[in-house]
Amino acid sequence: MDTPVLLIALPLLTAFSLGIIKIFSKKMVKVVTVISATVHLALIMSVVREAMQRPIVYHLGDWDNLLGISLVIDSFSAMMALLIGVLAYAVIIYSLVYVDFHELKYYVLSFLLIAGVMGMSLTGDLFNLYVFFEIVSITSYALVAIKEEKASFEGAFKYLVMGMLSGAFVLLAIILTYQVTGALNFAQVAANFGDAPMLVRQTIFVFFLIGFGTKFCLVPLHAWLPDVYCGAPASFNALSSGLVIKASLYAFIRIVYLLFGMTTGISQVMIYWGVLTFLVAHILAYQQESLKRLLGYSSIAQIGYIMLAIGLGTESGIIAGSYHLFNDGLMKATLFLGVGIFSYTVGASKIDDLKGLGFSMPKVSFAVVIATLAIIGLPPFNGFISKWLILQAAWETEYIVAAFFVPIGSLLSLGYYLKVIKALYSRAEGELEVKPIDWKLRVPTYVLSAACLVMGIIPNLSLALITNIPKFLLDSSNYINLLLGR
Amino acid sequence: MRKFASLVVVVILSSLLMMTFLSLSTADYELSEHYINYGVEETKALNLVTAILFDYRAFDTLGEATVVFAVASTIAFLVPKRTASMISARFSIIMQQTTSLVIPFLFIIGAYIIAYGHISPGGGFAGGVILAVITILITVTFGIRYSDRQVRSRIKSFMESFGAMGFVLLGLLGMALGGNFLANANSHFNLGVPGDLISSGIIPHLNVMTGLKVAAGLSIMFNSLIKEE
Amino acid sequence: METTFLAIAVLFGLGLYIILTHQNLIKIAMGIGVMESAIILLFIIFSYRPGGTAPILDADAQAYDLIVDPIPQALSLTAIVIGAATTALMLALIIKIYNRYNTLYIDEIKKLKG
Repeated sequence: MDTPVLLIALPLLTAFSLGIIKIFSKKMVKVVTVISATVHLALIMSVVREAMQRPIVYHLGDWDNLLGISLVIDSFSAMMALLIGVLAYAVIIYSLVYVDFHELKYYVLSFLLIAGVMGMSLTGDLFNLYVFFEIVSITSYALVAIKEEKASFEGAFKYLVMGMLSGAFVLLAIILTYQVTGALNFAQVAANFGDAPMLVRQTIFVFFLIGFGTKFCLVPLHAWLPDVYCGAPASFNALSSGLVIKASLYAFIRIVYLLFGMTTGISQVMIYWGVLTFLVAHILAYQQESLKRLLGYSSIAQIGYIMLAIGLGTESGIIAGSYHLFNDGLMKATLFLGVGIFSYTVGASKIDDLKGLGFSMPKVSFAVVIATLAIIGLPPFNGFISKWLILQAAWETEYIVAAFFVPIGSLLSLGYYLKVIKALYSRAEGELEVKPIDWKLRVPTYVLSAACLVMGIIPNLSLALITNIPKFLLDSSNYINLLLGR
Repeated sequence: MRKFASLVVVVILSSLLMMTFLSLSTADYELSEHYINYGVEETKALNLVTAILFDYRAFDTLGEATVVFAVASTIAFLVPKRTASMISARFSIIMQQTTSLVIPFLFIIGAYIIAYGHISPGGGFAGGVILAVITILITVTFGIRYSDRQVRSRIKSFMESFGAMGFVLLGLLGMALGGNFLANANSHFNLGVPGDLISSGIIPHLNVMTGLKVAAGLSIMFNSLIKEE
Repeated sequence: METTFLAIAVLFGLGLYIILTHQNLIKIAMGIGVMESAIILLFIIFSYRPGGTAPILDADAQAYDLIVDPIPQALSLTAIVIGAATTALMLALIIKIYNRYNTLYIDEIKKLKG
């Protein structure tokens, strides 16, 4: 009954207590980490299962609907929570071996990051969203800098400046919203927002777009991402690409649908901007030599697809978009964890360095190849299904141009991912010495890549979770009534 | 060229902002009206800002404390730990004696502001900053080595973790007593009489926890930033 | 009111301009500080009611005519703490970058990076 808040409170408590635990026993840190992550995953499962039956509203501090802060778990939040649970658990297990720098701080910051992302997806309050948004940002900067290399400091600084700008715009939009609605609760804000003058509403939309857009890499604002990904540890890349970017996008989608509704103007902005985003990102990705940069640009491209689908504003569009959001989280995490194994064992960071690894590490390479094929959008993987749904949805709503560019984008991504696959399975000059890989690195990668395949063959598994999402997005009165308890 | 382009962007944004300000409408602020009219009755805290921060929107404050925690632990690993020295002026004995004289009073003011946060202006954040000033003063006047010897960094991080944990545990206490997370009046805490020092349930306790956390966090941040390699 | 709004718009623009044009890392940090102060000023303006009292009531006499809006005040406290914390993190990163490159200017750092 009290589980929803534990999803946020448990990682916070773990993060706070790790410092004290270390004083008593250094060995206990990892044990506590694993136990906490496992319990967290179990809690998420139970909450998601409950939310699939009936959306949950949890009033913090027992204040009634409007006075305090409430957590709202509808299908969309539940999907995000599930994604967070799976990825966070996989990355924590992976980190047990991968992370050999500032271990304690790494776990502390990771748990704070997970709590922040979770808070962003569950909260039903505008300002609370901002607070969690900042927690996520600050822990991200720290995790980028944690390797203490030259590149990581510059990346972190660039990220920090962009992040602070985006935070300033989001805060400005939130306080303007408070002034015109007199409330912070999503439900009441949404109910009163229509009375605001047109110009104010437009400004607020622009500020939210700039603010969250910087974080989820809308194309002219994406410049920080490749530099950041280069210097960061691979486990953070997986978290960032799978969760941090997605959470910002989630927040933006939630706000747009609640406050503004999907009007034609906003719809067109999102669709064409989405198309622009994935085209530019694909073309830039094509020129990359560095693996992490390539994957970074590919992450930006997937954001473009999701924006396009969500911007359609139809039921099928939302289903397609949220399904792609979920799938991309899995695929990108697999790729980054796989690349992390390559760089951990043989120090490969460029595409050329991959030569011959397909033969010396067949299983890991195979897992990476599965995720690659999925992200290009080839059957029978999950990426194919979600991209196909996006194409269909765009076609139905007669955005023919947008629909036309979806396969073009896939074709472009085929171009650069083929380079990766080719490098993996071409003969290297010298014989490669590969030390055995710890199971803690391999198993999360295998599990995630298997998930890509399973979701592709049995799409009904996750579609059951997603089918209810349009109900709460399209008609904001459903969400308002849910939050107000009517 | 770059300057000109930036100028254009900035002018457009600023004028957009100005135009928005001029066309702002006001709403009926039911929420703040409610806080003003019933805030004291519901939370028994006279300071409404504290009532909002630590009761109605206590979850925000937990997030805020988390931000300070995250930054303090990040800065602590970013800067070197081994060679602790810093550029400083050598102060005369007058300065050192005055500092030692001031410190007890600072401690009293800090403690007062934390403890009376729900009655008068102040609270955990303001009081915590004043407590942090003590270590900052020691560092500036007597140098970083002395300061680190007086208040060991391990103790500071322990205090910080303890404060942050205390906040969450107090929240969970509300759940144990039958309410929701961070519930105050609704989980049968005795709220007392408004205006008393021991009143308004968990608010003063949360204030103490936040004060500990902020004081320790800020002194960790300052001492780490001032270290030289 | 209008003058304050103008001041806020100008301050916000000024901060952004500094971030966009300046090469010195410390100045970028200052620009962000200016932007954040503009936003805090906006919080204060929105909570202000002409003739209102501070939102700290008395135990016995609760009868104040007008009390300023306490919500933006509480929110601005949160925003200030978050802003200060992030600025501290930024300064720490600047120190690290300066230790590596011995310069604070972005173009020189780029040159050193090659």
